[in-house]
Amino acid sequence: MAETVLELRGLCKEYPAFRLKDVGFSLERGRIMGFIGRNGAGKTTTLKSMLNIVHPSAGEVRFFGLDFAEHELECKRRIAFVSGGANYYPNKKLAAITAVTRSFYEGWDEKAYRRYLKLFALDESKTPKALSAGMQVKYALALALSHGAELLILDEPTSGLDPVSRDELVDVFLSLADEGVSILFSTHITEDLDKCADDVAYIRNGEIVFSMPLKKLREKYRTVELTAEQAEQYKDSLIGCKRAKEGFTALVESGELAELGGQRSGLEEIMVHLDKEARDDD
Amino acid sequence: MTKLLKKEFILFTHPTSWMFLAFGAMMLIPGYPMYVPLFWTTLGLFYACLSARENNDLYYTLLLPVRKRDAVRARGLYFALMELLQIAACVPFAILRTVLKIGPNNAGMDVNLALFGLGLGLMGLFNLLFLPKLYKNPAAIGKPFLVVTVWVFVYILAAEVCCFTVPFFRDVLDTPDPQFLGVKLGVLALGAAAFVLMTVLGVRKAEKIFEKVDL
Repeated sequence: MAETVLELRGLCKEYPAFRLKDVGFSLERGRIMGFIGRNGAGKTTTLKSMLNIVHPSAGEVRFFGLDFAEHELECKRRIAFVSGGANYYPNKKLAAITAVTRSFYEGWDEKAYRRYLKLFALDESKTPKALSAGMQVKYALALALSHGAELLILDEPTSGLDPVSRDELVDVFLSLADEGVSILFSTHITEDLDKCADDVAYIRNGEIVFSMPLKKLREKYRTVELTAEQAEQYKDSLIGCKRAKEGFTALVESGELAELGGQRSGLEEIMVHLDKEARDDD
Repeated sequence: MTKLLKKEFILFTHPTSWMFLAFGAMMLIPGYPMYVPLFWTTLGLFYACLSARENNDLYYTLLLPVRKRDAVRARGLYFALMELLQIAACVPFAILRTVLKIGPNNAGMDVNLALFGLGLGLMGLFNLLFLPKLYKNPAAIGKPFLVVTVWVFVYILAAEVCCFTVPFFRDVLDTPDPQFLGVKLGVLALGAAAFVLMTVLGVRKAEKIFEKVDL
C-alpha cells in the first residue's frame, strides 16, 4: 500500500466573510494532485492553514504520518511550499537569498540548484525586483526543488508563466513524481493538470466537493452540446447547463443520455459545469 | 537558532542600525542626555522592522524549516544583540571621556557604569513592550512604535529628573567613576538582569501572540 504523505482532516478556519469547512483529503507518495476551485473558494487558505501560516481554528494536518502541530520542524524540512513567486527581499541579489536559504537545509542539492538555474535561465546576480512575475515563480521553484523535498505544495505555480515554461515545469513535475516526490498544486490552469495530475481535489465555498483520481473523474462525465430545445427537454438530467457560442453545453453522467452523444470532459469543463450547477442550486 | 540569527544579520538588518552604532561617540558631548544614543538603537530596530515588512520577511522566514516561535526568538535575540552592541560601542567613548576629563554632565546622568545599567533597563523595557506589539499585527508597526517610544521617553525623563531630585541618584549614581563603584556595579548588574528578564518576557508574549496570527 502506498505511503500517505499528506492527510488533512476537518480543517476549519473562520473569517468574517468566509469559512473553511471541514476540509479533508489525502495524497499518496509519488502522486500529483491538482487543487482546483474558483477565486476565493479557499485554496490558498487551505494551503496556508496546512502550514500554520494561517492559524486554523480546528482540524488535523499530518505529513508523512506525523502530526504537523507536534512535528512542525521535521515536517517543514521534508516539504517545500511555494506561493506565487519569490516576492521577498526584492532588492537583494538571488545569490544572497539562496545563500541564506541553503543554510537551513542539510539535504541541499547544489547540483540540482545549478541545474534548475540553467533550465529556468535564472541569473543569480539579479534581484527579485528585476525579474518578471514568471521568473520570480521559477526562482521560488528552483529553491523549492533543490533541498530534496519529498512533498511540494505549490500555490498557483504556473500562473504568469509562458506556455513553453509551463510545459517545462509539467515535465519537471512528472520526473519528480517518478522519483517518488508528491506534488499538491493549486491552479486555475486546468490544462496543466490534464497533462500531469493523478488526483484532483475540488473546493467550493470553503468545502471540498470531491477528491478523487483524475482518471475516474473524467470517466464519470461527458460534455454534450445541445440546442435550446434539447436543453429544455433534458434539463432535469443535465449538470450545469450553460450558454455556449452556439446553443448550450452541459455535463451528463457517462452512462446516461447516450442519444445526445458528446465527448469525454476535460477538467476545465467539469469544474465550470459543476460550479454552474451548484450556483443554480443555491 | 544560529541559522536564523545569521539570516537576521544578512537579510533583516537595516543599514541605519550600523550607522546608529557610531552614535556611541555622543558619549563625548560635554552636556547631553546620555540615554539618547541608546534610544537611537531602538529607532534602528524599528527601521529594520519597517524594511522587513516591505520585504515580506516574515513570509520568507515561515517558508523556511523553522517554527513560528523560533522566528520570534531569533528576532528577540537579534534585538538584544544589537542593543548590547550599542552599549559596547558606547563604552570606548565613555572611557575616553573619563581619560580626557570632559567633566560632569550638567544635562543629566553622568557617563558611568550606572548609566549603562539604567540604559540596559531602558532597552529591556523597549523589548518587553515592542516585541509583542510587533507580532500582534506585523502589517501595522508604526503606531505601536510610537506608543512604546512614549514609554521609553517617560523612562528617560524619570531617570534624568531623578538625577536632580532624588538624593541617591544625585549624590551617588550621578557621579564620575570610580566613585561609589560598588553601588554602580550593583545598578549595572540589576540593569542587566532587568534587561534579560524583560526581553525574555517580551519574547514569550510575542511567541504566544504570533502563533495565532494569520499571514
